[in-house]
Amino acid sequence: MKVLLPFHLNKVGAGFPSPATDYVEDDIDLNVHLIKNIPSTFLIRVQGKSMNSVGINDSDLLVVDKSLNPKKFSTVIVNINEELVVKTFIKENGQSFLTSGSKEIKDKINLTENPEILIWGVVTYVIHAL
Amino acid sequence: MLCNKNKVALVDCNSFYVSCERLFNPSIAIKPVIVLSSNDGCVISRSTEAKALGIKMGEPYFKVKKIVKEHDVKTFSTNFALYGDISRRVMKTLKQFSPQMEIYSIDEAFLDLSSIKNENLLEHGCKIRKTILQWTGIPTSIGIATTKTLSKAANFIAKKEKSGVIDLVNSKKTDELLSKIKVNDVWGVGRQLTKFYIKNGINTAYDLKNMHNGWIKKNTNVFGSRTAMELKGIPCISFNPYPETRKSCCVSRSFGKKVMKLEDLSEAIATHCLNAAEKIRLDKQTVRKITVFIRTSPFQINNNYYANSKSLELPIRTNDSIVLIKNALTILENIYKKGYRYQKTGIIFSDLKDVNIYNKNLFSDINNEEKRIKLMKAIDCTNIKYGRHALSIAQAGFNKKWNSKKQHSSKIDTACFNFLPVVRAF
Repeated sequence: MKVLLPFHLNKVGAGFPSPATDYVEDDIDLNVHLIKNIPSTFLIRVQGKSMNSVGINDSDLLVVDKSLNPKKFSTVIVNINEELVVKTFIKENGQSFLTSGSKEIKDKINLTENPEILIWGVVTYVIHAL
Repeated sequence: MLCNKNKVALVDCNSFYVSCERLFNPSIAIKPVIVLSSNDGCVISRSTEAKALGIKMGEPYFKVKKIVKEHDVKTFSTNFALYGDISRRVMKTLKQFSPQMEIYSIDEAFLDLSSIKNENLLEHGCKIRKTILQWTGIPTSIGIATTKTLSKAANFIAKKEKSGVIDLVNSKKTDELLSKIKVNDVWGVGRQLTKFYIKNGINTAYDLKNMHNGWIKKNTNVFGSRTAMELKGIPCISFNPYPETRKSCCVSRSFGKKVMKLEDLSEAIATHCLNAAEKIRLDKQTVRKITVFIRTSPFQINNNYYANSKSLELPIRTNDSIVLIKNALTILENIYKKGYRYQKTGIIFSDLKDVNIYNKNLFSDINNEEKRIKLMKAIDCTNIKYGRHALSIAQAGFNKKWNSKKQHSSKIDTACFNFLPVVRAF
């Protein structure tokens, strides 16, 4: 008959036992830190360069939480002209706008005037490969 | 009395597969959309717009092709990886609304709302619906009532309402609503029972509710009277939060194009065995009986029809992929006939039992068995980490020429790193 013996990670050596064993934690799990709400969070890949100025580059990964409502300067995923796109959400004088990263007024889309444009989700992190 | 306290909600996702396809594709948001079954055979999900065009559930694709072309109906092959992940998200979101929940299918769940005050039920239902929509993007309908069967009926009505939520607990119109539901649409009333009821003048849910208990008991079985009692508001079907363990496991597919060679059939059978074996290992079960079946298309006119199946009982229960494949292929060789154009093949593992049920006999090779258990564990862990089929068995083939057609797949998988959805920055 076989007897299975437990395998101990810390050998009971002859020397001084590691003083760190009481402080050991599990490996860092990025999911825990980057995803606050699991069922409403999606990973989405970016295609295009219009958001470079806010640090979002072509083929970056976005962590998007659908359960959040946008705040001033939130990066958001929106549904414009039957397509999902990344924009910056801003509020001015009680009106909401979308811009493409730049602070310039001319390419602003007025959300109050275009109620058909829907916010899909709020970007919480960008993952960029170097 | 206990039954007065009972409050159940049935939450059902609207046109679930279509809604999943729409999630990352706003261009089809208000267009007619259908999803086809595996191998692009039949219509299995329709948007409201597609229903309005007269496309029926389960209709073969070739029959609706004309409508699809004329009205530019957006058509998708099934993408179960995506639907499975979205379903998990919906269920996880739902869970926070009730301590007791029963997942009834990929897109439906019962929630116990007994702790919610009567006057708050409708509001609570609306909150659930709103949260699911915001968090997952999936629209739902919710029926709330005092029994499961009534909550199903309420849901049936809710599907047609703009608000999407119907509360029958506080409603004085329950009878009026039940009289709008045909008896065959009542949960638990099958085809045979429908025929019988209609012959006896029972046409609606309301008619059934008002039948005398004695008559129902005398003329139907225990399930029939359970349904009738539940329509009267007396709970007979309890919550079942733990899904029952499988008693059998079937994996079958139609081929993308007809298959004649034994090698191709063997690859398909081995692949199906791998899939099924993985499922039963996950559920910690073992198999006693293996069945293999093959058939040609019943619609083909010029060719002879051939269908056959055979079963085999294993001397020792197992969930070892290698043993299962070996035995399944033996059966296949036994029933395979040359010269036919096969359309479908599949396997059934049955007489499943918990792994702990005693299973050794005089001929058990205990040493080898332990090694195999470890091997299977290693395969399963690798596949969980690196994606399905990262580790496979050579008999399952590499090209899989026989694999099913998926011409219209959206190829998005929210749970797989290589197939994530894309947004544009322009």
